[in-house]
Amino acid sequence: MLFIWFMLTGFIFLFAPQNLTSKFQLAFVHVFRWPLSVGGDLALTAQIQQPLTGAASRSETHYRNYIANLEETLAREREKFKKLYGLYNTYVWEGADFVLADVITATVEGSRNELTIDCRKTNGLAKGQFVLGDESIIGTISDVFPQISKAKIELVTDPTSRMPVEVAGLKNIMKGSGNNSAKIEMVKNEIEVGENVFALKKPGYLDAPMIVGKVTECNRNQKNPSLWDVTVVPACNIEQLEDVAVIIMNPQK
Amino acid sequence: MRWFRFALLILAVTILQKGFLSRWSSKPDLLNIFLVFFAIHYNTSEAIISSFTIGFAADLIGSPMPMGPQMISFGLFGTLLAYLHRVIAIKRMPYEALAIFVSSVLTGGLTHLLVYIAGEPVVANIYAVVFITSLYSSIVGPFLFLPAAWWMRIKTDRFGRRH
Repeated sequence: MLFIWFMLTGFIFLFAPQNLTSKFQLAFVHVFRWPLSVGGDLALTAQIQQPLTGAASRSETHYRNYIANLEETLAREREKFKKLYGLYNTYVWEGADFVLADVITATVEGSRNELTIDCRKTNGLAKGQFVLGDESIIGTISDVFPQISKAKIELVTDPTSRMPVEVAGLKNIMKGSGNNSAKIEMVKNEIEVGENVFALKKPGYLDAPMIVGKVTECNRNQKNPSLWDVTVVPACNIEQLEDVAVIIMNPQK
Repeated sequence: MRWFRFALLILAVTILQKGFLSRWSSKPDLLNIFLVFFAIHYNTSEAIISSFTIGFAADLIGSPMPMGPQMISFGLFGTLLAYLHRVIAIKRMPYEALAIFVSSVLTGGLTHLLVYIAGEPVVANIYAVVFITSLYSSIVGPFLFLPAAWWMRIKTDRFGRRH
C-alpha cells in the first residue's frame, strides 16, 4: 500500500506542469545556496589547482574570445559602414545593460545542461535574454524568479537549446546535444576545425554577433553525404565559470 | 531506523552531489549508493520509505529534468532490492558493488525512459553516461557503506562472516 501511494506521488510529480514542480527544485537551491556554492567553489579549486597554466589558459580564452568578438564586430561594422556610410556610427553595445550574476549551481555534463544564477538585481531580466560567460554566449535565460533573485540559464549545449548561428559565412541552427557540446547539422560546405561559431543577431535580445563556440569536428551527414554535420564546443570553459553577465538590450530607465 | 540521522545523511549527500560533484565531468551517483545501502540494511517497509525519499532528493537536484522520474525509479528498484535481499544476502563488498552497479544502470535507464515519456529530450549518448556513472558508483560505493553504517548506528557482520 505504502509503495502504491509513493508511486502515485511520483507520477503526479512527473505529469504535473514543470513550471510548478521546478519551484521545488529552485526552493532547494535557494535554501541551501551557501553550502552548494561552497561545494562548487571547492570543486573549482580542486580542478584548477594542479597547473598554474589552467588559470592562465582561462584568462587566455577570455581574451581570445574578446578579440574574436571584436574582430567579427569590426568586420560587420565595416560592411555596414560601406553600405550606410555616414548614417551608422553607433557602437553595438550602446544603450545595452548587463546584469552580473554569480553561478550557484552548474550542471554541464550529462543529459541536461543548466546553470542556476544569483542575480544582484532582477529588474529587466526576461526569458530568452542572452547570457555571457568569459565574453562568449553560453546560453539564454530560461526562467526568472524575481522573488528570490534567482534565474535559470539554458546552456547552448542543452538538448532543448536551439540557436541561430553563423559559421564560416553559413547561417544555420545550432542544437545542443548534451555533454558540453552542440551540433550544427546539414551544413552545405565542410568547415575547418577551430573555426569560430557566432550567435546571430536577434532583435531586442542581441544586437552584435557574439562568439558562441568553436568547431571541433566536421563529418559527413549519414543520411545525405553531400552535407556536413559540425560539432561545436562552447568558447569558454563553462564548468569553471564563477559569474556570468545577462545582456539586456534597450533597458527601461 | 533512526529517521533524524537518515534525514541529515541524505541532506548532506544531496548537497554534496549538487554542489561539489556537479562540476566534475564523471562522478559517482552518491544517492544511488545510499539507496542500495538502505535497501540492504533495513526491513522492507523502511527500505521502501527510504528509497522513495532518496528518489525525491535526487529529483530535487535533477533540474532541468522534471520532478518524478527518479522518485519512481529509485522507489521501484529500491523496493525490489529490499525484497531480493530477503532471499539473497548482499553482505560482501563485491556483491555490494555489483548491486550498486545493477541498481544504478536500472534506475538510470528507467529515469531516462520516464523523462522521454514525459516529452523531455534525451541525449544520444545517454547509455555511456549511465554506464560510466554506474561504474564509478560501484567502485566508490562499498567504501561508503562503513561510515554510513557507523552514522546510522548499524552493526555490520561483514567482517564476522569471514571467520
